[in-house]
Amino acid sequence: MQKAINASVCLIALIISIPIISVLSIWIFPNQDIWNYFLDNLLLDLLVSSGILLIFVAIGVALLGTLLAYLVVFVEFPMRKFFSISLFLPFAIPSYVLGFIYLGIFDYSGYVQTFFREYFNITSFNFDLRSNSIPIILTFILAFYPYVYIIARASFMRQKISIIENARLLTKSNLAVFFKVAMPLIRPAIVAGVLVALMETLADFGLVSLFNYNAWTVAIYSAWYDFRSIEVAAQLSSLLIIVIFFLIYLEKFARNKGKHYSYAITNRRIYHPKGWRKYLIMFIPLFVFIFALAIPILQLIVWSTEVIFEELNYQYLNLLFSSFILIFISVSIILLLSLLLVLASNNRYLNFIIKFTTIGYALPGSIMVIGILFAITNISNINQYFGGASINHLFFSSISLLIFAYVARFITISYRSINSVKKQIKPVFVENAKLLNGKKSNIIFSIYIPMLKSGLLAGALLVSVDILKELPATYILRSIGWDTLAIKTFELSAEGLFQRASVPSLIMVLFGFFIIFLLQKFDYKY
Amino acid sequence: MKKIIGFFLLLWLLSSNTIFANEVTVYSARKEHLIKPLFEEFSKDTGIKVKYLTGKGETLIERLKTEGKNTKADLFITVDAGNLWYAGNQGLFQPVATNIIKSNVAKHLRDENGLWTGLSLRIRTIVYNSDKITPSELSSYGDLANKKWKNRLCLRTSKKIYNKSLVASIIYNKGEEKAQKIVKGWVDNLSSIPKSKDSHVMDAIIAGQCDVGIINHYYYGAFVDKNPNTPLKLFWANQNSTGVHVNISGAGVLKHSKNKKNAIRLLEWLSSAKAQNIYLNLNKEYPINQNIEVSKDMQKWGAFIQDKMNLSNVGRLQLESVLLMQKQGYK
Repeated sequence: MQKAINASVCLIALIISIPIISVLSIWIFPNQDIWNYFLDNLLLDLLVSSGILLIFVAIGVALLGTLLAYLVVFVEFPMRKFFSISLFLPFAIPSYVLGFIYLGIFDYSGYVQTFFREYFNITSFNFDLRSNSIPIILTFILAFYPYVYIIARASFMRQKISIIENARLLTKSNLAVFFKVAMPLIRPAIVAGVLVALMETLADFGLVSLFNYNAWTVAIYSAWYDFRSIEVAAQLSSLLIIVIFFLIYLEKFARNKGKHYSYAITNRRIYHPKGWRKYLIMFIPLFVFIFALAIPILQLIVWSTEVIFEELNYQYLNLLFSSFILIFISVSIILLLSLLLVLASNNRYLNFIIKFTTIGYALPGSIMVIGILFAITNISNINQYFGGASINHLFFSSISLLIFAYVARFITISYRSINSVKKQIKPVFVENAKLLNGKKSNIIFSIYIPMLKSGLLAGALLVSVDILKELPATYILRSIGWDTLAIKTFELSAEGLFQRASVPSLIMVLFGFFIIFLLQKFDYKY
Repeated sequence: MKKIIGFFLLLWLLSSNTIFANEVTVYSARKEHLIKPLFEEFSKDTGIKVKYLTGKGETLIERLKTEGKNTKADLFITVDAGNLWYAGNQGLFQPVATNIIKSNVAKHLRDENGLWTGLSLRIRTIVYNSDKITPSELSSYGDLANKKWKNRLCLRTSKKIYNKSLVASIIYNKGEEKAQKIVKGWVDNLSSIPKSKDSHVMDAIIAGQCDVGIINHYYYGAFVDKNPNTPLKLFWANQNSTGVHVNISGAGVLKHSKNKKNAIRLLEWLSSAKAQNIYLNLNKEYPINQNIEVSKDMQKWGAFIQDKMNLSNVGRLQLESVLLMQKQGYK
């Protein structure tokens, strides 16, 4: 059984990493001229701005995500249960939608700056949101903190509550308890969440282009759109792969220090602040709730009310249905495959293979697509070499290619959430089962799968919403008639029809909320 | 379970069927809401069913290249002359220069060898705040590089293909050295980092961040529809010299088209008066066919002389234009 699992993991890994291998293989015949131009003129600047982005987004999502999780798990304050769930929801709002709304509100021509100019008569009040990195970093943090929050919250709930209680008795400073005990306690979870957020940040193009910010992806797209060289685009992307490898190994360091096992879910608060203090505490999640959720949703509703009845038609059922089918098929495949990856033996070679397979998430969607297009051409060429026909077109005639792209891109997420839960299973369960002469298959079905349930659900949740929001790969690889809500949102907003665009994006966000609620319901009780 | 599998298989088949014989398949970089009404009307007129897939011009070109000779697509519609030129250059199109197209479309708006044809005109020109500027202060794109516009200019990012084409046309008309000076002057005059959208440029002008900018005219058209009393006004640039820079949305019949006849028929139909009026009403794009009268609200913007340079040159010079803008620090 274990051998069969290991063998199939190798096979899966090979197939899934085809796009990544294709992207890397571009170095066999690199395009020197354009590459040198980039090297000489653009790369240093881009490295610095991408570096700044990564560092501050990492710090921001780690602090915000963990703090929010800590508060809702251990501190009793008004509306705690409400925030506990609703702080997940911003995850359903695509970062490009969030960025678009913030620009509308906070730009020179937006409500806020106009208000300052008109009511305080400061005509010179001019803060250019694009002139420094702070606005875009804050947007990224508000868009991606849920990755940390989701994992950190689940992790805090499964900690031994007594550790925090004892720490509290030993030190008077609540901040010290948070920074010195709570955060280190769930460090692997925080690091895992941060890593996912960073991969998203690296792969982002929508938000950075909205802010006209010179991130690495801008160079990638410049190579493609300006210089018409998908080869150089692939060369530039391959550097992202190296960065991610580096980050993944950093993560390993964070994990290695200690082993943490999960315990029964805690449903007891440690802190019970009284009087104004509890409202002060409540202000923190409230603030995030307002900016990451309430304002964007309100803006979408305001925009859409004017046009909703002309815009809404049967076509939207079609879009919703496409999104649903794509999610359902892909998530089923992804869960199955990532479960296999998790159950593979823990040895060096397999670990490396799995790590390599799961870096696809850091590639921008369209670069993953370039890898797939390269691969298709090569497969077809090989087929022709052996006397077959040209078969490239076959790949495009169904949604299978798109589903493959989803699997290759998003398997990381579900693998990581399942694996993080697996690491918390006390080995004693498995040892006991082995002692009782349990077969591997029995161990899998009666121990692993039930105990991994929360990881599987979290994986399903994250991947579903990610697929719902996914734009670049869907836009290129879908077959005729498979438009999604994300595509509709993009097409309308790209033509400046923001009010009409708010209708599909609102539906997309609500559908995302629905998925989150549904999967949460299966997981823990509150 | 079997039922579910059967259901998905059915979906799969439906999504890839090719049962309709009398049909034509279009890959389009024009967005769905801007082409669907055209296709519906075409089907009514001819009985030919149109299947279409939208996408970004650049990525659809890569997809077409990968699909190779077995592609299902017959016609490729895209925006910007540079994209059309590039698709032609990559050998995706086949020449079709029928008499109908020749008579409907002016020579400078289609490829010399008949590989692609313009189908609608989009004018990239100057927009200004009429509360602060009189039209007599404005003249040309090059004039916006003048010091008097210091801190009064807003531009969209140089990464947008419309700006690449505009600068390519300036390189063609004025030579590289002058073009460089103009772009440098623009960058010096910017009152803010370039925006990502034409609509943001208009917003900034109204809010007073700047007084003047460059946009595609139809964004202005949509804006005026919603805000009839706006102080924002269009100004046709370069009327005393080369004429205002025009760009096109257009199409070409693909080399590996399986329904060439239908594809040509659709292309011809799109250049017809009927289709041109739909373009006009949908998105306020100027007809390619100069005999057609534009709507009243567009007549208010006045007549203009257009730059008659052949748009192939825009495609040819686009890379040079990108290098020039990057060198001058136009973000």
